[in-house]
Amino acid sequence: MHEPDFNTLATALLKKGVAPRHAHRAVNELRDHYDDLVDAAVDEGACSRIARRSAAKQLGSMDEFVQQMAACRELKTWSFRYPHLAVIVYPLACLAVLPAAPVLAGIAHREALMRWGTSLLAAGLVTAVMLLVMQLSIILG
Amino acid sequence: MAQSNPPFMSGVPELLLLRLLNDQEMYGYELVRAIKEVTNEAISLGEGVIYPVLHSLERNGSLKSSRKAVGGRTRVYYSLTRKGRERLDKLRDDWSRIQGGVATALGTAANA
Repeated sequence: MHEPDFNTLATALLKKGVAPRHAHRAVNELRDHYDDLVDAAVDEGACSRIARRSAAKQLGSMDEFVQQMAACRELKTWSFRYPHLAVIVYPLACLAVLPAAPVLAGIAHREALMRWGTSLLAAGLVTAVMLLVMQLSIILG
Repeated sequence: MAQSNPPFMSGVPELLLLRLLNDQEMYGYELVRAIKEVTNEAISLGEGVIYPVLHSLERNGSLKSSRKAVGGRTRVYYSLTRKGRERLDKLRDDWSRIQGGVATALGTAANA
């Protein structure tokens, strides 16, 4: 048996609709479990290669693990649990967010907006002062 | 996963996990070892089987988890909640009833 591919396991779980927090934690737990099995086999006198092979065999097929996790409805994201509702809610949420998008963008880039606003105000003040000086020179001149 | 138990074992991992966690908090690897020990290896769960069960039990509020750094690894320890104890009591009653029923049926069939 090959060594378990933990890197692709999380992706496989997410593709099946398992909620990210459960998917990532399950993979970490399974990886630790595998390490514990390897350590136990090494403690019993097995060489590293045989210990890893034995641990992978005890851990079993990653495909079946994915199926078992995916079979638990409560571990899935709500959009996988209620797909019909998701079809309605997601577009409505997008529509609701659209008007708020400029405000949110403004909050996200508030520092740049503040600099831009300050520059604009300074430029306006300089222009006003120059116009005032010119006006006064005409009146008094 | 290593399937070493027949299909009628459905629900047994949940009962065993709740029973073991009723005594003390444990992490996955410890639980698998403990199940083998307390059942004299009569019940040998596939090693990965317990994680979907643990996550489901946590999701429905029967268990709670906490991370602890032990020996350079971060372990996820599970412990029973009040709801978990209630669930354990119910499952224990159900199991006793089923066990009694099956024992009676087997006795009746053997005597027939």
